[in-house]
Amino acid sequence: MNSAQSQSLNVLLQEIEGIQLTHQNQRRLRADISADALPALLALLRGRAGYVHLSAISCVDWIEDDQFELVYHLWSYETSILISAHIRVARDPGIYLSVFDIYTPAAFFERDIHEMFGLYFEGSPDMSKFILTEWDGPPPMRKDFDSEQWVMDNFTWQDYHPDWLKQIEQQGGGVVKSADSSRKSS
Amino acid sequence: MRPENYQAVNHPPSHEYELNFGPNHPGIEGNYALKVKLQGDIVIEARADGGYLHRGFEKLMENRLWIQNIALVPRICVPDPVPMEVCYSLAVEDLDDIKVPERAQWLRVLQLELSRIAAHLFTFGGHAATTGMYTPMYWGVTDRDLILDLFEELTGGRVYSIYNLPGGVRQDMPEGFLQRVTQTMDYIDGRLKDYDNLFFTNQIFIRRSKGVGVINQQQALEWGVTGPNLRACGLAFDVRRDDSYLIYDQLDFDIPTEDAGDAWARTLVRRMELVESIRIVRQVVQALPDIKGPVRTPIPNPLAWRVKAGDSYTRVESSKGELAYYIVSNGEEKPYRVHIRGPSSMHAVQVLEKLSVGCRLEDVAQTMFSLDACPPEVDR
Amino acid sequence: MKSTDLDRIEVNPKTMPKRTNPLANVFDDLVRFCRSRSMFMLHYCTGCGAIELPPAMTSRFDMERLGIQPMVTPRQADILLITGYVSIKTLKRVILTYEQMGSPKYVIGICSCTVNGGMYWQSYATAKKLDEYMPVDLYIAGCMPRPEAVIEGLQQLMDKIKNDQANSWKQYYENYDYYLGNQQKLFGNNWQTPTDVIGEAEIYRLMGPQTLGEHTKILQQVQKPMEPLEMKL
Repeated sequence: MNSAQSQSLNVLLQEIEGIQLTHQNQRRLRADISADALPALLALLRGRAGYVHLSAISCVDWIEDDQFELVYHLWSYETSILISAHIRVARDPGIYLSVFDIYTPAAFFERDIHEMFGLYFEGSPDMSKFILTEWDGPPPMRKDFDSEQWVMDNFTWQDYHPDWLKQIEQQGGGVVKSADSSRKSS
Repeated sequence: MRPENYQAVNHPPSHEYELNFGPNHPGIEGNYALKVKLQGDIVIEARADGGYLHRGFEKLMENRLWIQNIALVPRICVPDPVPMEVCYSLAVEDLDDIKVPERAQWLRVLQLELSRIAAHLFTFGGHAATTGMYTPMYWGVTDRDLILDLFEELTGGRVYSIYNLPGGVRQDMPEGFLQRVTQTMDYIDGRLKDYDNLFFTNQIFIRRSKGVGVINQQQALEWGVTGPNLRACGLAFDVRRDDSYLIYDQLDFDIPTEDAGDAWARTLVRRMELVESIRIVRQVVQALPDIKGPVRTPIPNPLAWRVKAGDSYTRVESSKGELAYYIVSNGEEKPYRVHIRGPSSMHAVQVLEKLSVGCRLEDVAQTMFSLDACPPEVDR
Repeated sequence: MKSTDLDRIEVNPKTMPKRTNPLANVFDDLVRFCRSRSMFMLHYCTGCGAIELPPAMTSRFDMERLGIQPMVTPRQADILLITGYVSIKTLKRVILTYEQMGSPKYVIGICSCTVNGGMYWQSYATAKKLDEYMPVDLYIAGCMPRPEAVIEGLQQLMDKIKNDQANSWKQYYENYDYYLGNQQKLFGNNWQTPTDVIGEAEIYRLMGPQTLGEHTKILQQVQKPMEPLEMKL
């Protein structure tokens, strides 16, 4: 990446209102914007800056702020800068717009987020369950779902039988040889 | 035995029928399912059905210490576990500003490339079996085992090594290890000619795979295809070169491409990548004796280690494509959020669903194996 | 589940009493010997341990020299290898598969996850103890066990078959209520499979005191004729 490209990208991104740019390093650019401005940003990046690859959409559950953070990771094969666009949406109705019409891969990530966090994307082609078809509890990736407690309530554990070890030793198993002796120290 | 409540089901006469392809099916890769709608033997609609291997890694990792997660991450992609460890370590190092000693970086590259060779050999084996050729499968798996032997010597584990940790690698290599790496590489290099004769120039393979599951470059970019599958459409993109990590910028390697974009081209790109990976391993073997120094930057007490708050999106090139971790830390002893972007999550769901349409039923397995989809990575 | 439920299940089933006719005994021994030498292993990769099966099957470790081959359909298979953790979604399919297999059938739990959940003990998505849902003949511990360990385990299974100790499939009929209860606890009370296990138990004359119970009553109430699975395409 050269500085001219970076400069023109910065100029381009300033067209979006209220955008905050942070250069994390040479190839990572963080953009914080409001949720309303995101589709415009994505359309701009895709149409005029060559950002054709949506690498991922990540969702973070900030339960203390009562918000979901959505992070859109975009990559351009031309400028070789990865832009992460961060937005926040309210946790309570949990509805946001789909960006499927701009990026096709968004369909999978949005479906996944809907399944794991319960955040609904309007306009996404398919919001049916994919992984958790046999699951009827709350969306498991939410911070208020305690996985360990659920496991403790629903499963029991095998008792420990030390006799197994004795059996194995009788058969000549369970010998451990230290690997350190054969390693050189530098 | 037919149960008492059995009733014959009458369907209206039709040429269309629906078929569950997987999860228990020899033509499917791993524990994964496709529901296909057929007309005759042509697929007219396909729908992926995952989740059979779901373990909830992202939730598990939120409940464990930073250092404990090292043992979890390789399990995400079973045939190619090393990039998972390296990517996680790189992300944590990025968050906590840890400098990795140079020798550790070279050792990581050595292990990554060996893992890539092993994964590709394994894929060839599976792909050959879907065309009815079982000898390449036997060869591929057995030659992969030689690399697993190297892993065992280097790390102690055959498949899951848990060798990389934030700050470097666990131990230095044993005496005479590089010599054995060279021997194995010489052997695999010599075997490639046999593979060509048996598999890659075999008419059975060529006729079965040419023109199956064609993606053009436009579609590939649109659908988010990455890795060897993207390079088979003629776009020379590789995270190793274009978003370089570790010491890949000091190494000399080419990025093989093909233009056809079909199952044949995708497999051929992997075949050419084997040569490049062997080339990289040879360069590492040559350079490694001259690079002295420690292999690990000590991290503070791992049991009470608090990684600095922040977020990091780290990508590596796994044998399947672009692998990325998005890790958020809020300065606690455990990660706040880990999102894993596996390359197969695109290939095995959206791309496979689209490519299967119009295929004959027996070519669906071809398509899936040529995309090198890894179900545990989709399900996480 | 109370811990007393487990006590009902014999962990190491004793050898069956010998028949009175000496010729019948010779014949039984012969049958068991032949069974132990031609085992077909169901080709179903349920978890990560499956990655060590191709090396065990192919030229390096070569399972076929023991007479063990992969088989693609459950109805012709003898061994069900549970290779690693089973997620709840997979467990349903595993139980369907197990009930479709023809008796005698043997279950091997590979990897630590089948014993007690392994490293996924905190996970909401995986079942923890495999032997709550189906009887297990043999466990091969390790994460994951090496091909040598897999082959060693299979050899032990061969010995068990030869010595008439691998009778876990009979337990499934004799204690069907217990297994069904655990399955219902995990999958809900509407759980049913296409196989009529109680009817099979009657035909095999394996109806025990534990075959029927409160859980099978629930099953008989909710059981309805099987319909083709709904497929939304």
